[in-house]
Amino acid sequence: MNRHYITALLFVLVALVGQAAEFTADAEKYLRSTVDEVLSVADRASDRHTLADKVRPILLRRVSFDAMTRRAVGPGWRQFTPDQQKKATQLFATLVIRTYSNKFTPGEKPVVSYKAALSPASGRVDVPTGLVYKGSRYSVTYRMEQEGGWKITDVVIEGVSMIANYRTQLDAQFKKGGAHAVLTSLEQSVSHPS
Amino acid sequence: MKTAHLYRFLLPALSLLLVDCSSTEATPTAKPAAKLTASEATDSLDDYAVVEASDPLEGLNRATFKLNDGIYNYLFRPVAKGYELVTPKPMRQGIDNVYENAKFPVRFVNSGLQGKFKRAGQEAQKFGVNTFAGFGGLIKQSDRIPSLAEVPAEDTAQTLAKWRIGKGPYLVLPVLGPSTVRDAVGLAGDYALNPVNWGFALRGDADDFAWIPSTGNTVRQLPTQLSKYDEAKANSVDPYLSVRSTYFQNRKAVEED
Repeated sequence: MNRHYITALLFVLVALVGQAAEFTADAEKYLRSTVDEVLSVADRASDRHTLADKVRPILLRRVSFDAMTRRAVGPGWRQFTPDQQKKATQLFATLVIRTYSNKFTPGEKPVVSYKAALSPASGRVDVPTGLVYKGSRYSVTYRMEQEGGWKITDVVIEGVSMIANYRTQLDAQFKKGGAHAVLTSLEQSVSHPS
Repeated sequence: MKTAHLYRFLLPALSLLLVDCSSTEATPTAKPAAKLTASEATDSLDDYAVVEASDPLEGLNRATFKLNDGIYNYLFRPVAKGYELVTPKPMRQGIDNVYENAKFPVRFVNSGLQGKFKRAGQEAQKFGVNTFAGFGGLIKQSDRIPSLAEVPAEDTAQTLAKWRIGKGPYLVLPVLGPSTVRDAVGLAGDYALNPVNWGFALRGDADDFAWIPSTGNTVRQLPTQLSKYDEAKANSVDPYLSVRSTYFQNRKAVEED
């Protein structure tokens, strides 16, 4: 009786662990294909501007700009009207795409190695990667979440989370002048040549 | 003529330290969910805390930040451009390798002071391999040895953090850039432990050649440091806050590792 119980428990455990592993493996697979796609595009681009243009459609498919913008703005998000939220998301997406594509220099190919993925919360997987680029090593962790398929929700480079960084800035703007100040500041940095 | 004088005075002693960790491989750990109140979080997976910095000197810091921006753009950027112009890339990589190898005491001593003896041993091996098999550090042979390829670099500020010395307020240092009171002390420690500076610090008179190694150290770091600075600033809403957040987040990751 007791033994049966333990066997049953073991089965459940194995099944659970297996499922979790499949879960993280799935996210990792998805990330790999995204990174490969971006790298091959970046490798073929002739200059920075065409690079950003070509990377854009890939990222729009694979990144959750909704989650990113909401969290980058922080608590003030609830006081945005739906229109303001939409506008903020559009502006922020442009900014993120530019930030990300600016990290590549056409012709310099980074070497990416993947490490064991972690699942710190259900529905979320962190995939740590190592990057060798222009002779230096960097640690880059991709945060991914299940949102009708896997979506990237943050990129953490050398411990610096892109979303946490924007949160500091945008929250300060919100405290200064509400949704309006946040939108104006986003518009300003989008219109700035990078 | 006057600017040449200025460079000579400034460069030996200084190096920018925005995010000086390109050789570090931080092992990312799962962040424990930050303590956010329900009203702060925007959804169930949102764990980004807003407050991260003690910055009572913000007014002064912003002024120094602005001053530094001018120094970087008008004084350092031309030097960095010139350096990149006269040295081909493989040569710059070699020079970087030699300097990083010479900085061995900084990493070795601080690994030891933090009780990370395994890491200190790895550093010693790295130094041996690169010095003897890599022509005095010119070629980073240790990268080909898996156990030595990814040893996180320790510095004095990390040691002070490990000893639970509070970081104190955020401080933008003139020329050097973002720091805290504690990290500025750590910086002095790093400077003293780096053999490259010994000649200059001990016999700092401008007539001998002691200033050359430390000046070289500053110049060779400029292109990377400036591009990191540019990156922290680019596409930001408030460059000052972006650089500050970058600094705190990066140091936290480095200290935990």
